[in-house]
Amino acid sequence: MLSRGIISNFRTPAIPFPTTCKYSISDKDLESRGFILRRTISDLNLDHLNSVFVAVGFPRRDPEKIKLALEHTQSLLWVEHKRSQKPVAFARATGDGVFNSIIWDVVVDASFQGIGLGKAVMERLIEELLEKGICNIALYSEPRVLGFYRPLGFVSDPDGIRGMVYSRKQKKKK
Amino acid sequence: MSTPIGLTIKDKTRNQKICLLATWLRRLLSTRKIKGFRLMANFWESIRSGILKNNAIQIVEPASTLQEEEDPVPEEFVLVEKSHPDGEVQQIIFSSGGDVDVYELQALCDKVGWPRRPLSKLATALQNSYMVAALHLVRKLPDQEGNEEKKLIGMARATSDHAFNATIWDVLVDPSYQGQGLGKAMVEKMIRTLLQRDIGNITLFADSKVVEFYQNLGFEPDPEGIKGMFWYPRY
Repeated sequence: MLSRGIISNFRTPAIPFPTTCKYSISDKDLESRGFILRRTISDLNLDHLNSVFVAVGFPRRDPEKIKLALEHTQSLLWVEHKRSQKPVAFARATGDGVFNSIIWDVVVDASFQGIGLGKAVMERLIEELLEKGICNIALYSEPRVLGFYRPLGFVSDPDGIRGMVYSRKQKKKK
Repeated sequence: MSTPIGLTIKDKTRNQKICLLATWLRRLLSTRKIKGFRLMANFWESIRSGILKNNAIQIVEPASTLQEEEDPVPEEFVLVEKSHPDGEVQQIIFSSGGDVDVYELQALCDKVGWPRRPLSKLATALQNSYMVAALHLVRKLPDQEGNEEKKLIGMARATSDHAFNATIWDVLVDPSYQGQGLGKAMVEKMIRTLLQRDIGNITLFADSKVVEFYQNLGFEPDPEGIKGMFWYPRY
């Protein structure tokens, strides 16, 4: 009767990636196009990251709080633009490390959208989570980007499960 | 009369004790309605009026300028207390300190019919959770000094990045204790604690059958059309 938060425990995923190349763009391809894949927060300039967030419409957040959030994030991936040394794509996942994880803050700098960087980051983040044995990978998607997540394998409201957010204003008075 | 647990009333003067009692009673009466609370409130009302009558002491209630939400949620406190005629005292205690025995948890998950998960993974999941809230039933028998039975009857946990977002998982209450508002109280306390720790975005995923349960607690499904999505879910 109560929320479980898990769809299934033991699952071998269907093979979503083509067998010849694991990802839609290989690490090598990315590098040849001038992008480096990073998996740690070292060398990540948080002010630059914050600018990318703000430019795509996120509220401007305190960089110290962002630092705290990243330090308590289980997996993260970002793409560094070699020439400018700036982050141009980012995604991170929080969770309990064994059953569930949620992907947050998926962004691609507006000037670099449409060339597959978002997909590159997502594919690798998912794979990292699967390698850890995490079967339940979830996220909250704005309506306009549902079409970005679906081809990656995400399904909205599976089996009627709804994503819910606490709202202080919305509280129903009994 | 049994003393209200959760208040350290040792070494305080009588007047202070009565003031504390009154404050506690006032908070109790303004808290969300739980059946057990109503019974207790009536009990304490009668005691209070008895004290006033017999001792003509003026109870000065502190001005209630603070909203309930601003009082910090203690890590552990008594949610419900019932005194039985034979002297046994039963308490349901809420705690957010993660005091959950993994074997008890697995037994509880079995009771609600959830598929089994490896114990070691359960333990790791608890350790990696930002907050683990639990409900324990404590039974104190009258003639056994210091001897008490403690049983896990509910749990909920939340993962978080410690800054912006928290997600609540695995909310469960022992079927024998459902229908009393315990699940609601537990989740509500969790929310309050998270908000007090300045974690503004509290989320969860709800089975269709419990969407209304969470709506009544202040959760909104698909706010602004934002959809919960899962990667290749297996139904």
